[in-house]
Amino acid sequence: MSPLFFKLFFLVTFLCLTGHNAVALAQSPAPNSSNIEIDNEDLNEKATESITASIDSQFGIIVENMANVLFWEPVKAVPIPLIVIILLCGSIFFTIYHNWLNIRGFKHAIDITRGRYDNPDDPGEISHFQALTSALSATVGLGNIAGVAVAIQTGGPGAVVWMMLIGLLGMTAKFNECTLAMVYRKVRPDGTVDGGPMHYLEIGLQERGFPFPVAKCFGLVFAIFCIGGSFGGGNMFQANQATSAVRGMIGDRPGLDWFFGGLLAFLVGLVIIGGIKRIGQVTEKIIPLMCGIYVLAGIIILILHANQIPEAAVLIVRSCVSPEAAYGGFIGVLVQGIRRAVFSNEAGVGSAAIAHAAAKTDEPVREGMVAMLGPFIDTVVICTMTALVVIVSGAYNTPEAGKGVEMTRWAFSETLSWFPTVLNISVFLFAYSTMISWSYYGEKAWQYIFGTTKKAIIIYRILFLGFIVLGAVASLENVITFSDLMILSMAFPNIIGGVILAPRVKVLLQDYWRRYKANEFTVYE
Amino acid sequence: MALHASTVVVPIDFSSASASAINTGLEIVENPSQLYLIHVMLPLETMSPGVLLGDVTDVSRTAKVTTALKKLAETHNATDAHLAVTIGTPGLEIADYAKREKADLIIIPSHGYHGLKRLFLGSVAERVLRHAPCRVLVLRRPD
Repeated sequence: MSPLFFKLFFLVTFLCLTGHNAVALAQSPAPNSSNIEIDNEDLNEKATESITASIDSQFGIIVENMANVLFWEPVKAVPIPLIVIILLCGSIFFTIYHNWLNIRGFKHAIDITRGRYDNPDDPGEISHFQALTSALSATVGLGNIAGVAVAIQTGGPGAVVWMMLIGLLGMTAKFNECTLAMVYRKVRPDGTVDGGPMHYLEIGLQERGFPFPVAKCFGLVFAIFCIGGSFGGGNMFQANQATSAVRGMIGDRPGLDWFFGGLLAFLVGLVIIGGIKRIGQVTEKIIPLMCGIYVLAGIIILILHANQIPEAAVLIVRSCVSPEAAYGGFIGVLVQGIRRAVFSNEAGVGSAAIAHAAAKTDEPVREGMVAMLGPFIDTVVICTMTALVVIVSGAYNTPEAGKGVEMTRWAFSETLSWFPTVLNISVFLFAYSTMISWSYYGEKAWQYIFGTTKKAIIIYRILFLGFIVLGAVASLENVITFSDLMILSMAFPNIIGGVILAPRVKVLLQDYWRRYKANEFTVYE
Repeated sequence: MALHASTVVVPIDFSSASASAINTGLEIVENPSQLYLIHVMLPLETMSPGVLLGDVTDVSRTAKVTTALKKLAETHNATDAHLAVTIGTPGLEIADYAKREKADLIIIPSHGYHGLKRLFLGSVAERVLRHAPCRVLVLRRPD
């Protein structure tokens, strides 16, 4: 039995243990077939719908079972999933422990990102600015456009406050994890870099006195959830909402889900299997422009509705402190706000640390500070803007506005009739770039478990493309739950490990800050 | 029986184990020019940040590895050693290189890069053993 097979067996066993009931459903009889004669086209259409419904329901059962385990609520009287408690407490801890670095280090973080301290001879692959762009291309996406609409839909306008708050606190969580990724990264002789939570958990925890099996276990659990996250939020959610955007644009057609899912898989496959890097390069470079257009359109709408903003702000604050029962009360709003914010900015999740580890610098703290800007741009700026547009346009309480990305499109098109076309292009490009970035994160985690052999890598890439098609055909609810499960669960090992390793970061930060205040750094610009 | 070889291939992954393989090679050959050091790079990941946004290319990677190989050879007083950098599956590339250079010995450490190191022979060493056109000397892990 080869080691690769051995490890695949473990991964499948793990996933089956969390979703064992799916097997029972898989063995259940196929949907009823009738002997009534109908024309071929109708039959094909019904067969496609039946396959789609069957896949979606089986997927739903797996997701439900996984949710029971991973979204366990430890205190019955207060229905907050354990992972949300960990994310909230972790972010508060990092912010206090690093002495409100998200505020005191903000200006310095901007200076670093501007290239003030960029030394081209430092080890690494990309500049600070490029590292931030790369991490943002994975986080800025449908979480900001569709996720915010979902948060308001399920948690009410008050969820926005919690999104912003966790966005601000998450800045220091991001700082902690990205600094650690830099400290424990491996620079290969060819100049490329290998880093991320699986490495800092494995090596760092051993340095803190944990035995090898425990440290390795942290790394492995993170890697398993990261692979899941790359199939969920980094893939299925994007494919699902991009398909939804196309459906909104051209109307629902039979087989559209399969066709568009296949097309997306083909286009992603061109880069990750075909090796056509030019497509990925162009997309990555267009993303900041699309972000700019999106934010600009939002600002125009908010200026045109300026008189409604105070009213919207009052509504947001009022719904936050005394939310309606329909949204699950105070706790329901809090949980929704945190889930959607973390899903969008991935602070505490550890994914961005894989991208930031590639930065050209020999100062780990410096890259950590650049990473801090990620949740700010993603959540405090872009998500809040989307939320305000959804609220001032009235989309959040208009049933015909639809769900997710459809609601956001409706909200923007109320004021800017030409915007849906731009939004659809943005949705496609955001989804595409997020999928490419997440395929890299997932592959790094996959390599951590299965090694760098050609066979192992190609298996992952084919699975990744398969999940794109699955995401396009599955329902939004199932996709969101699965994506949340995987991405948020990455925070279990990452935040617990991050807290254990925080003293190491603190020592580095104090030394760095002292040198910064003493003007000891060389300025290159 | 003393081991004699006049064309010795030593795969280099820049670990301490591959450095000790160079020393073993130097003990076997008559002069360093009979040593053939090869480093095999994994294919470029087209979705990595360095490729998408930075300037990481196969040319830039090859230049960096060649410099590192030269430095390594210098530290072992083997500046006359032949150096090669290729891209592909390490085990196969090493065996191909040995064929091209008509090597009569390959010296490789037994360690794996990853995974269940204590249970399995390194996958690279295993593949070299299977595909090598000549004798292969597998060095034990120090532990």
